[in-house]
Amino acid sequence: MSESLKIAVKNLNVFYGKKQALFDINLNIFSNEVTSLIGPSGCGKSTLIKCFNRMNDLVEICKYDGEVLIDGENINDTSTDPVSLRTRVGMVFQKPNPFPKSVYDNIAYGPKLHGMYKNKDDLDEIVVSSLQKAGLFNEVKDRLFEPGTGLSGGQQQRLCIARALAVNPEIILMDEPCSALDPIATAKIEELIEELKEKYTIVIVTHSMQQAARVSNRTAYMHMGELVETGLTKNIFSNPEHAKTQDYITGRIG
Amino acid sequence: MSNIVQRNKSEKRFQFYGLLAVGLAIFLLLVLLLKIFSTGFSAFNQTYLGVKIQIEKGENLSELDARSTLRENLRNMFPEAKSRSDKKNLYSLFSPGAYIEFEEMLEAYDGDVIDGYYYFLASDDLDMYFKGTVTRQGNSAGRIKPSQMKFVDEFVKMNLIELQFNRYLLGSADSRNPEMAGILGAIYGSLFAILIAFVTSFPLGVLTAIYLEKLTKQNAFSDLIETNINNLAAVPSIVFGLLGLAIFLNFFELPRSASLVGGLTLGLMTLPTIVIASRSAIKSVPPSIEEASIGLGSSKVQTIFNFTLPLAMPGILTGTIIGIARAIGETAPLLMIGMVAFIVDIPQGPLDASTALPVQIFLWQDSPERAFVERTSAAIIVLLIFLFLLNITAVYLRKKLEKKW
Repeated sequence: MSESLKIAVKNLNVFYGKKQALFDINLNIFSNEVTSLIGPSGCGKSTLIKCFNRMNDLVEICKYDGEVLIDGENINDTSTDPVSLRTRVGMVFQKPNPFPKSVYDNIAYGPKLHGMYKNKDDLDEIVVSSLQKAGLFNEVKDRLFEPGTGLSGGQQQRLCIARALAVNPEIILMDEPCSALDPIATAKIEELIEELKEKYTIVIVTHSMQQAARVSNRTAYMHMGELVETGLTKNIFSNPEHAKTQDYITGRIG
Repeated sequence: MSNIVQRNKSEKRFQFYGLLAVGLAIFLLLVLLLKIFSTGFSAFNQTYLGVKIQIEKGENLSELDARSTLRENLRNMFPEAKSRSDKKNLYSLFSPGAYIEFEEMLEAYDGDVIDGYYYFLASDDLDMYFKGTVTRQGNSAGRIKPSQMKFVDEFVKMNLIELQFNRYLLGSADSRNPEMAGILGAIYGSLFAILIAFVTSFPLGVLTAIYLEKLTKQNAFSDLIETNINNLAAVPSIVFGLLGLAIFLNFFELPRSASLVGGLTLGLMTLPTIVIASRSAIKSVPPSIEEASIGLGSSKVQTIFNFTLPLAMPGILTGTIIGIARAIGETAPLLMIGMVAFIVDIPQGPLDASTALPVQIFLWQDSPERAFVERTSAAIIVLLIFLFLLNITAVYLRKKLEKKW
């Protein structure tokens, strides 16, 4: 496995108003790997993941300092345009949130927005290949022009993944992508994550220890806004260094 | 056990109260509608008197003096009317509009001989008597004197009195003569004013709402604006009239009584309603959709125009139409800017002096003539139909835009 650094977080502090949400985070995330963030509710997992595509900018009271380097470039720099950053860093949210448009238009929205195609055939191809990558094409090929919100929950979430893939990102952030899904749909998404890491760098926030163990190469355990421990998943789960990590993964806290 | 019985009982009782409230509301509404319709309906018809017109060959019809010719033909019908006062009594059974009608008839007449019975507009007093609004007491009825009544009886005997569709009511502007008064001028005035109110307040209101809801930071300044907008929505409409008077008439020196000024004033009045409705509609757009859009690399403005606004549009339109419907029925601010004048010309544009429907109703209900009573109700009917159509449009637009996804 190539160990090339994709995201490097250095001394990141995040504040919501006067309340500090993240304390001095240092974390490395590597290309073509799945990194999962685990920890009890309110520990700052989602806050951290949103620092990677600057979604926190939408929260008025949110302030941060420190560096987040993607391919060596500090995205917290004022020179970085958050809008173009978000085409490089796609995001899948906790609740499936397809646009109130057809399946086709859901996928085509991003490419249209960024002018990523030359003609209609180009766009068709982007839509089809995105759906194929998300493993959804066979299920929806007859319903491309029906509303995306008419799909089942699991299909909607894969539609959202396909939508994120359509703009050709380098990194995909997933914020508890399976928390609203049943075990079968969850299994499909996990399979998909397995395939996607060949091409993309994936960061996933999850509440399910089993899921983290199943899908991720590396795991970071967070507690009360601090990064307690990070390492290869197999090490974290079999032989955690910290007592807190041990307590959490064995179910004693959380 | 008794607890459940009691609970069920109180639920039944509450249901009954609700039903009672709804029933009472519907009953009162029906009484109101019934009253208005029963009073106003007769105004859509008008009493006409038949006159035997005989014009021999050789006369140039369009050069005839309509007034004297009609009177001459009348005298031929009633040779017994010899004295000056008798003649005057006979003539005054007709409206001044009768001569205008006759003149129009002469101008449009094809041919050179006229021989037959033609119907002309009767006076409002006769109209009231014939419709039964004013009852006969002996030989007089309302303002119809006994000396006139003999001619009326004569017309009735000859079967030369009848009701025809009132083409003045919906076809002309105001008049001192009730039988010739209409609301077309007021309808035009209202339409111009409402159009201008919509065109000014809708974009301003929606943009304000977007700015306050999406583009500005929450701070003391935005709180101040928000509080003031909420206060503005509760300001009495006549105050907006004063504002319109001060700004549009005194400062910008726009023409008095013009529907342009009326529209701008009503627009100002509607603005807070639209802002408040739009803000709550924008607020209710699911943030997850906006997040998805931002996450795909849309800018804030792209997100607003691609998702927030289309999803909020049904709510925005509903609020706007409620505001506009309120503006249509508004009288007080229009009084302040001079749209209350007596105007007999139908306005050709928003810069012409005009009245509006509610102001016309206000003017007519103040008039002493009995015939204006039913015309007031008729104008109310027309105004209600306007509001009804507007509400239907609102429901239709909402249903159409509220696509179920």
